[in-house]
Amino acid sequence: MKRLLMLSLAAGIAMTGASAVQAISEAEISKDIEEFQGFFLKRFPGLTLDDFQDGVNALPQYAARRANWEINMDFPQYEPEMDKAATEWSAPFANGKSLADCDLAPGNTYPVFDAASGDLRTIEGDINACLKANGEEVIKNVKRGKMARLVAHYKSQFNGERMAVDYSDPGAQDWYAKGRQIYWAKRGQLNFSCADCHVHNSGNSVRGDVLSAGLGHGVGFPVWRTKWQVAGKPWGTIHRRYGGCTSQVRAHPFKAQGEEYKALEFYESVMNTGIPLKVPSLRQ
Amino acid sequence: MKRRIFLKGSVAASTLAVAAGAGLLSPTRVLAAAWPESAFGPRPEAEALEAFFGSSDVVESDEVSLKAPLQAENGAVVPIKVMTSLANVESIGVIVVKNPAPFTTGLEVMGGGAGAMYSARIKMGQTSPVNCYVKAGGKIYMTSQEIKVTVGGCGG
Amino acid sequence: MASTKMKIKKSAEGGHDVMVLAKHPMETGLRKDKKTGEKIPAHFIKTMEFALNGTAVAQADLGTGVSTNPLISIHLANSKSGDTITVSWVDNMGESDSAEKTVS
Repeated sequence: MKRLLMLSLAAGIAMTGASAVQAISEAEISKDIEEFQGFFLKRFPGLTLDDFQDGVNALPQYAARRANWEINMDFPQYEPEMDKAATEWSAPFANGKSLADCDLAPGNTYPVFDAASGDLRTIEGDINACLKANGEEVIKNVKRGKMARLVAHYKSQFNGERMAVDYSDPGAQDWYAKGRQIYWAKRGQLNFSCADCHVHNSGNSVRGDVLSAGLGHGVGFPVWRTKWQVAGKPWGTIHRRYGGCTSQVRAHPFKAQGEEYKALEFYESVMNTGIPLKVPSLRQ
Repeated sequence: MKRRIFLKGSVAASTLAVAAGAGLLSPTRVLAAAWPESAFGPRPEAEALEAFFGSSDVVESDEVSLKAPLQAENGAVVPIKVMTSLANVESIGVIVVKNPAPFTTGLEVMGGGAGAMYSARIKMGQTSPVNCYVKAGGKIYMTSQEIKVTVGGCGG
Repeated sequence: MASTKMKIKKSAEGGHDVMVLAKHPMETGLRKDKKTGEKIPAHFIKTMEFALNGTAVAQADLGTGVSTNPLISIHLANSKSGDTITVSWVDNMGESDSAEKTVS
C-alpha cells in the first residue's frame, strides 16, 4: 500500500505531461495488480475477488440498497433492449455481412493493444472500425444508446470469463503507465484523483451514495443506470461514466474513446485481472 | 361494483351492441373495468380509497404483507410486492403516502385464483410509508412499511 | 414485438407467478424537455389485463407513479401446465401492446 501512496504523490507532482510518465515493466504491473487487489481484499474482509464484479453492490455498506438491486436484477429493465441488440448484431449490411462477422477479440481481453498501429482497441472502436470497413455508417454517439447495447450484447457472450488483458508488449505498458498516472493524479476544482474516492474512501458515503471500490470498475459495463433513465438516456458505457465522474470533481471531462479514457480503461481493466465478467448490469 | 358491469352513456352502449353483434368483442372485454380515474391524481388518501374501494374503512391485518426494500436503491424504481393469505380477494391498492399523487397502482381481481400477490415497480419522491390495502369479502385490510429514499452524491 | 415480455414462474404455493415487463416511458407530464423547455406530455399505461385461456382474470390499474418500463406481477392459483396466459395493456394515448405465453 505504501507503494501505491508513493504513486499518488508522484502522479500528483508529475502533471507536466506525458513525457513525465516512466517506463514500466511487466513485472511491475504484476506487482501493481497484487497490491491493488490485496488492498481491497483487506479493506473488505469477507469479499472474494469474484464479488467485486457487482461494483458498489458488493460492498457491505451498500447492503440495504443491494437488496433492492437484486430484486430488480431478477427481471432487469434492459431485457427488451438486449433482445433488440441481438437482432441488430445479426442484421445484414448492404454487402450481406453483419456485425457477427466482425473480427473482435474475446470480450474479457479488452482493451487490446494493437502493435501495428500502437493504438488501443476498445469494443466500441472495433465495432465502428468494422462498420466502416463494410461501407456502413459509423455510430456517432459512442457513449449511449445503440453503441452501448451492442457492446453489452457482445460482452455478455463472455459472461463468467475472467478479465485477462494482455500487457506483455512494451507499447501496452506505455498505455498502462499513462492510465495509472491518470487514475492517481488529482484534478478539477475539488482536486480529487480517482484513487481519492475509489481507493482511500471506498465504502464511505458521498451524501446518500456509497463510493464504489476501484477494484471491479467496468466489469459490469455497459450499464443501464436509473439516474440516466430518468433523463431518458438509460444506457452508458464506461467512458460515459468516466465523463460524469470527471465533471463531478469539476474538471473538464476528456473525450469518450479518446486517449485518456482508453488509457484509464486499460489501467482499470488490468487491475481487474481475474474478475469474471457480468454484463450488462443495473446501477442506480 | 357498478362500473364493472355497466358502461356509461347510451352511445357507448349502442356501439357496444353493434360490435358485440359483429362478433368483434369477446366476453372478457365487455366486463373489463374502466380505469379508476377518480382514485389517481393529487388527492388525499381517504378520497383515493373511497374512489377505488368504495370505502375508506380499513383495518390493519397481518394477513396482508408487504415485501419491499427498507432503502430504495433509487426512488425512480422501487420494487414492492403485496401478498395476502385472505380468501376472496376483490382488489388490491398501493398508496405512497408522501407522493403528490398517493394512489399509485391497484389490481382488480376477476377470477383465475388471482389476488394472492401483486407486485409493481413504483416511483417514490421521498422517504415515505407505503400503505397496501386488500379488499376481501367486502372488507378492507391493510399493512404498511416505510421505504427510505436518499439523495445521491454521485452524478454523471 | 419484443417490447412486452412475460415470464411465468411456478409458485411454491401452487399455481404460477406471472411477471410482465412492458417497455414504456411512463411520463408523468411534469418533466421538461431540456432543449425546448416544454413539458413532455404525460404518456403512461392505464390498464393491463391478464387473461387465462382467454378469460380475463385480473386488471392492473397503473398511473404516473409507476416506474418507466414497468414490471407488473401477479399470482394465479388456478393456472396449470398447458394453459395460455395473455397480457394486454392500453395507455392514455390509445397505444397498446400484448404478449402471450403457454405455461410449461
